[in-house]
Amino acid sequence: MSVAAIATNPTAEFRAGGTDFSERRRSGVSQATPIDILESGDKTITWDADGAVQIGALTTIATIATDARTAAAYPGIAASAQGLATPQVRHVATLGGNLAQRSRCWYFRRADIDCLKKGGATCPARSGNHLYGVVFDLAECVAPHPSTMAAALLAYDARITTDRRRGLTIADLLGDGSIVRSDHALTEGEMIKSIALPAPLEGERASYKRAISRTYAEWPLVELCARVVIADGKFQLVRLAAGGVAPVPLRLTAVEAELSGKIANAPSIAEAAKLSGSGAKPLPMTVYKLDLLQGLVRDVLERLSS
Amino acid sequence: MTATTINERPLALPDDPDALLIDVIRGAGLTGTKLVCGSGVCGACTVLLDGTPVVSCLLPARAAAGKSLTTIEGVGAAGLHPVQKAFMAHDALQCGFCTPGFVVEAAAFHDSWRATKGTATPSREEIAAALSGHLCRCGAYEGISRAVADACSGRFDGVDPIAPRLEARDKVTGLARFTVDIHHDGQLEGVILRSHVPHAEITGLDLAPARAMAGVAAVVPLLDDDNMVRFVGAPIAAVAAKDRGTALKAIAAITFKAEPLPAVIGLDAARRGDAPVVFEKKDRKRAGNVSEGAGGAPVSWKGNVRGPSAPFSQKAKQAKGWLDEARQQRNPLLVEETFRVSTQQHASLEPHAAVARFDGDQLTLHISTQAIHESMEKIAKRFGLPHNKVRVIADHVGGGFGSKGSVGLETIAAIELARAAKAPVRVVFDREEELSVTGYRPAAELKLSLLPSEDGRLKALSLTAHADTGAAVNSLIAGLARLIYPAEAKELVDFDVLSNLPPGAPFRGPGGPPMSFALEQAVDEAALRMKIDPIHLRKRWDPDPNRQRLYDWAAGLDVWKSRMPAASQNGRFRRGVGVATGYWLYLWQTGSSVELAVQGGRLVASCAVQDIGTGTRSVIANTVAKAFDLEPHDVDVRIGRSNLPPGPGSGGSRVTASVVPPTLLAIEKLKAEIKRTASRAPAPGSNAPWREMIAAAPDIAVSARRQEDGKPPPGARPALHEAGIMGRVFGWVLRLMNHMVVGAGVPSSVQVMEVEVDTWLGHVRVLNAYTGLAVGKLAAPTLARSQAAGAVIQGIGYALYETRETDPWSGHILSGSMDDYRIPGIADMPKLEVHFDEAGFEHVPGGSVGIGEVATVPTSPAIANAIRDALGMRLTEIPFRPDRLLAALKGRDAA
Repeated sequence: MSVAAIATNPTAEFRAGGTDFSERRRSGVSQATPIDILESGDKTITWDADGAVQIGALTTIATIATDARTAAAYPGIAASAQGLATPQVRHVATLGGNLAQRSRCWYFRRADIDCLKKGGATCPARSGNHLYGVVFDLAECVAPHPSTMAAALLAYDARITTDRRRGLTIADLLGDGSIVRSDHALTEGEMIKSIALPAPLEGERASYKRAISRTYAEWPLVELCARVVIADGKFQLVRLAAGGVAPVPLRLTAVEAELSGKIANAPSIAEAAKLSGSGAKPLPMTVYKLDLLQGLVRDVLERLSS
Repeated sequence: MTATTINERPLALPDDPDALLIDVIRGAGLTGTKLVCGSGVCGACTVLLDGTPVVSCLLPARAAAGKSLTTIEGVGAAGLHPVQKAFMAHDALQCGFCTPGFVVEAAAFHDSWRATKGTATPSREEIAAALSGHLCRCGAYEGISRAVADACSGRFDGVDPIAPRLEARDKVTGLARFTVDIHHDGQLEGVILRSHVPHAEITGLDLAPARAMAGVAAVVPLLDDDNMVRFVGAPIAAVAAKDRGTALKAIAAITFKAEPLPAVIGLDAARRGDAPVVFEKKDRKRAGNVSEGAGGAPVSWKGNVRGPSAPFSQKAKQAKGWLDEARQQRNPLLVEETFRVSTQQHASLEPHAAVARFDGDQLTLHISTQAIHESMEKIAKRFGLPHNKVRVIADHVGGGFGSKGSVGLETIAAIELARAAKAPVRVVFDREEELSVTGYRPAAELKLSLLPSEDGRLKALSLTAHADTGAAVNSLIAGLARLIYPAEAKELVDFDVLSNLPPGAPFRGPGGPPMSFALEQAVDEAALRMKIDPIHLRKRWDPDPNRQRLYDWAAGLDVWKSRMPAASQNGRFRRGVGVATGYWLYLWQTGSSVELAVQGGRLVASCAVQDIGTGTRSVIANTVAKAFDLEPHDVDVRIGRSNLPPGPGSGGSRVTASVVPPTLLAIEKLKAEIKRTASRAPAPGSNAPWREMIAAAPDIAVSARRQEDGKPPPGARPALHEAGIMGRVFGWVLRLMNHMVVGAGVPSSVQVMEVEVDTWLGHVRVLNAYTGLAVGKLAAPTLARSQAAGAVIQGIGYALYETRETDPWSGHILSGSMDDYRIPGIADMPKLEVHFDEAGFEHVPGGSVGIGEVATVPTSPAIANAIRDALGMRLTEIPFRPDRLLAALKGRDAA
């Protein structure tokens, strides 16, 4: 089947590394025919003279995690890539695939349970077991967005190019959180081609951490990618993008605003971190994610300030 | 069709876009690559694609076009890779099912490490990060970590390793064949149609549409004769077809009507007075069994609640009275708490699997089973076949942990389908089946009251357990509290709470870890209130001679002596040290027999027993080798065949104590025979007289059955004797019905855990685990340590991560993938110290008893007590996940 055929065949899906698609195909959640895009896709990392970069959508996560220049310029991107999935998945999974992957909700992932994302009428997790659900309850569906790279790209003001459009922000790509049937806001058959990052700021630092129960290899309960610029001991810039908490990755703008111009030390970070749950609407089983979010803000910002 | 190379040979790739790399590899006969999780988290399917480790269970086959593939069979094809040698030497494996994936990844890590860093030794953390995509359910991580470190440092270059585990070479090279790897000519693939609703009557089952499909060879009904399904996943029918895809399409074509009936899910809902009843009186015999033994005395039922069952209570009324009085008087020493433990899945990496083949009326079965001999007997009975017409084979078993102890549905379905199809049929459960319908250690609510007397003795204990057994009965948790810490009075009551969930099953020391989780925290709490060292209090309350010695060992540990009080810590990271005690019954199986022979100048030991990763082969080989001054590899051990002399099941930690004694008898007999038939004496002054005599001996064979034990030392008695006359009755029933004897002496474990709690992220990490074990002499010391370490790691999983999640309304299992059912990984492993106290079992011929269960019993309460020590607060529900830790720290109720 050709790439063009997907628009006329709703039972087809693009397949890059296949790490998400194959699992859904095996379990019966997806009946779609794969359209392979890996071979023909863009796997290059291209640097502009001004230090900005364009990453081909078919670049593997492992490449992003280990590319020395990427790690130097965008440590939050590299650390996010290092933190997700497992080494043998990272070697085949792609950046575009990570952005376009389907929800990890355990109701969605069972072929014999109906849910909003599968065309059903209600969200079974909302009335059922939503231990890993959102804490910013913005949509009927309570599943958090699964893409770690989306949160990292949000922190870096990335722009996405598709085969139809240019200059999409992460919000353009994924929507405002109200979409339930899909996990992104792309049009039918639209394909992510590349991701552009603006040149890093002078003296910026960045980091990433995910809160999980074990040490490695777990979908994040909550994750945070943070960028800061500190000058004269004060925060000049704070960018915080959180995953695992909402239907789309969220900027923690209240914390960012609170810290702007403040002394970069533990007390001011601890005070500002209290605002990390601003606007949250916890579900009965997800209150703990607010504690995790606050803990991550403190953890990551303290490390960046030291 | 496109092409690739695999292990440097050409391989054609199919055009089918749905073909996954693992299926092509295994289809080519390279079965070392294993399918386990199907979601990229376990690493068992790892292969090298142009030298890079990749996940073959998710990678489309066509992604390998034009590239070079290396599987475990290709790693070290020209001679063992240093990593393989190191795995063998360090016993970095148990059941061996995850081993090929680990070896492939570790070999790639080793090669790139050596290329850039020479023979520097990577740190534990570097190794853990590199292997973070691999899971081992046996918990062989300690050996794995050491093996990778030593291989990288060059220690195994050019070295011929000595493997303490007899079959290690087959497991590190991917040649060990498990049931899932069996392939007969014309073999069909069987799939089971299961209920999607929790409670219904099935009518109008029509198998014809499936039978009519091309490629379908047989369709059989699997419904019970009452046509009811009582849980999501209950079997309805099975299909055998030319491949799995066709079989899946065929089960989807089967039609039936499911008349929905009211359903109830889980412990709390099922206990309510108005809850729908899962088993009406006439149907109660259909419920499953969560214990290893047969059910005891008849027990009353009320709705879904079966119980009270309290055979091991002792002056229960007196206990109640004293506890009531203490409550009224607000006695500060009275410890009262409600504990909750979660459902633990066995999560064996080899799923339940069976391959059935009829040759005329001869049935050959490969089963991933813990009991080949008993399976043969039960299958022969069920299908009306003589014993010699049923042959059960299990050369290697990829983990069991209790879930593979009886004849399972995979075996029944494979036999029925093979008979109907007149062709061999393989049935292998997928991961979701494995994590939903193959049994589990039931969750439980444990209400405990403990009262010390004024003079510091244990006066009264009350423990009431409600177990979340699903469609099964026979949980024994509270009753086990009778066999430790004698008191003046004990009220010990067990209830089964049935609901529309799959039935629970025995799991490594069934009931032991939940009981210990409650009791050991209560004893700890009592010590705190009495202001006594918790080890000292246990020493006072627990007269068992084996544990007395272990308490002395624990009290002498530096980590124990240098504990810091909780009050001194208020930072983000807080450390604590906790202790707990566990015991298990010393069991052996009557009739266990071993044949020992000289064949062609070599020694051959035979027994119809299986090795599920516990080291049975090595135990037998070591025992024989030692007696004849040989090396274990000089002995051929034949196991895994039901037509050998009857052996024990691998459950109840009974194998070593069942097979070593008759092996010793057989050794004496064989020695006499060898001497009698010797044509001449060994050369005078020979340093290997037995080797010479065996080489010269004619073929002879002797056999022996498990003898009774000798007279136990003073103070050593069967654990059940603590429970008085009822304990003795229980013992007789076990011997009569289950051929299991509870011997004298109590296998015991005392564990000290040091934890660090991250109070910001609710994360608990076990830093150091000290395990003292009294299990007699070690028949295979290196393997004994592996077994003990693995049990502790599984206990860490129980305490910190593992929980089966269900939908509260439909009963669907939500944690049906290894993403969502979280077993410990290599980076979660603490530094482990294992201390073996080898005394106490001199009356057992050979002096050895089992390890597997006792070593996992006290792990969760030791961690709980360590967290109490770190935080100054007690958490009462496991697993201690971040949400629960944070809720406790914030003073909230956890969801």
